[in-house]
Amino acid sequence: MTERYRQYFEDMPCYLSVHDPSFRIIDGNQRFRRDFGERVGDFCYRVYKGRDEVCDNCPVAATFATGESHASEQTLINLRGEQMPVMVHTTPVRNDGGEVVAVMEMHTDIRVAKRLQDQLQRSQEKLSQLFEEVPCYISVQGPDRVILHANRKFRETFGPALGEHCYRVYKHRDEQCLYCPSQQAFKDGSVQRHEEVVTSAWGEKINVLCTTAPIRNAAGETEAVIEMSTDITEIRKLQSQLTSIGLLVGSISHGIKGLLTGLDGGIYMVNSGFEKNRPERVAQGWEMVQRNVERIRSMVLDILYYAKDRELEVADIDAGKLAAEITESFQKRATDQSVELSLALDGDVGLVPGDAKAVRAMLVNLIENSLDACRADGHKAAHRVRFAVRRSAPWMVFEVEDNGIGMDQETREKVFSLFFSSKGISGTGLGLFISNKIADKHGGGIEVESEPGQGSRFVVRLPLEARPSTHPEPLPASDAVATH
Amino acid sequence: MEARRVLIVDDDPDIVVYLTSFLEDNGYETRAAADGADALAAVAEFRPDAVLTDVLLPGRSGLDLLVTLRHDRRTADLPVVVMTGMDQILQDDGHSYLTNHADIRGPDAVIGKPIDPRDLLEVLERVCSPSPVPAS
Repeated sequence: MTERYRQYFEDMPCYLSVHDPSFRIIDGNQRFRRDFGERVGDFCYRVYKGRDEVCDNCPVAATFATGESHASEQTLINLRGEQMPVMVHTTPVRNDGGEVVAVMEMHTDIRVAKRLQDQLQRSQEKLSQLFEEVPCYISVQGPDRVILHANRKFRETFGPALGEHCYRVYKHRDEQCLYCPSQQAFKDGSVQRHEEVVTSAWGEKINVLCTTAPIRNAAGETEAVIEMSTDITEIRKLQSQLTSIGLLVGSISHGIKGLLTGLDGGIYMVNSGFEKNRPERVAQGWEMVQRNVERIRSMVLDILYYAKDRELEVADIDAGKLAAEITESFQKRATDQSVELSLALDGDVGLVPGDAKAVRAMLVNLIENSLDACRADGHKAAHRVRFAVRRSAPWMVFEVEDNGIGMDQETREKVFSLFFSSKGISGTGLGLFISNKIADKHGGGIEVESEPGQGSRFVVRLPLEARPSTHPEPLPASDAVATH
Repeated sequence: MEARRVLIVDDDPDIVVYLTSFLEDNGYETRAAADGADALAAVAEFRPDAVLTDVLLPGRSGLDLLVTLRHDRRTADLPVVVMTGMDQILQDDGHSYLTNHADIRGPDAVIGKPIDPRDLLEVLERVCSPSPVPAS
């Protein structure tokens, strides 16, 4: 080696060493000597790795064997015992006859690159973990709406979705949705945000707020779309409940205003009756006061029943006895209103399983409604309310029939809806809703027949054998119907 | 001076008894109707100086009654006072319920329930036309 090349060899900013076929180091440059010592004559595996035998996959051995350069990544241990990740390149040293007599090995320190690589890998792992663990549904979709990636929550909720079309996974549809935010993001590269109702793998409906954004390649073209959906089902439920509470408050407020007007009226009649010395006016006013106080009591009970969705306490009820008691309790009111209230028992109707308090409240409500319907009707000379009970297996049937004001079709259809009231002044829209709920909870039901001007007939059927409700879940608040 | 005539339209008999007694005690002549159809018949026959109507009535509402009266040239100028416990109507005089009837004049007055008797007398005094409704 000429002196000039020797100088190059010495000054190279990497470790250079030359190895003979027995893996002894026969030369080394300055940096090699600085970090590994004056080790010429020693075995390379001992110098570089502190080993007693040739390393597996030794690039020097490979070069001796093949006569070609080899490269690999290795970890060396320097004089100070530090581990140094290096990139190793070997090249054969040939004699004049072309025979490989030695191998030169060049080690490039890749600690910085290695550190960067490790950091990159850690970042990728973190990103991947974030993607996996974000508590919303994330998917990445290709231009054909096929799901390319999906995070854990998505897979857990919608199943192993990879390779499937998003509309199939999200909505169990066979074709693309009418409005597809993903398609829009592909089309114009915009971020789309909207609300959807999707279906889980087990059929549960989930309200989601869905945001889609384009994923662009280096050329700026949209090659995929990421879709993030947040579960807002609970929020929607709460909103629905709040709406329901709002309706209830509005309805109660309206009902109370009407009742106060009735009370004002009663008080006016009492006071003016005294002033004018007209006892019949005092008596009329006092009845108005009593009636409106009774209405307030009834409204409060309805509200309490609505607010507290209590479990039924089922026991055998003597249906005939209960009907007689209820009829008796209404006789005075009916007489005051000039309504003929009658009870028709079809023999000994016997027992029916049920919650006595709830069944009583339901029947009281129906009879109160019938009496109100008679009061509101000014077209007939005589009014009657007929309460009938009969046993008709498998049901105990209660019927409340009146010849009051009656209902048109629209009213009939809404009559059991929450907050629907046709009574304007005194109705909260709770009474028949609750009555229907009570019948339903017993596994029975209420039917209504009515014609405007003719009257109404409510038929309650309660099963003679206790049976569960046909609608075991509480009626969702969104079923509420507002009419005012 | 001849007593002013007020037609009271409400389906609650207690309210009818109250308003009839109160207004008659204060010099008005009254007639009561329980629903919109009765009210229209009473307008033709009783020829009131003002109609005092509730909103929620069986069948057609008090606002439907208003629209019908306004669309008939014989009753278009008949003062109509709406009484209600409905907050929305109290806030906007029923306009949000009359959006399909932009061509008609709304109620002459809206009074809230429970009714303030002094307000009611003031309103009726104000709206009652000095001349009776033209004969139909």
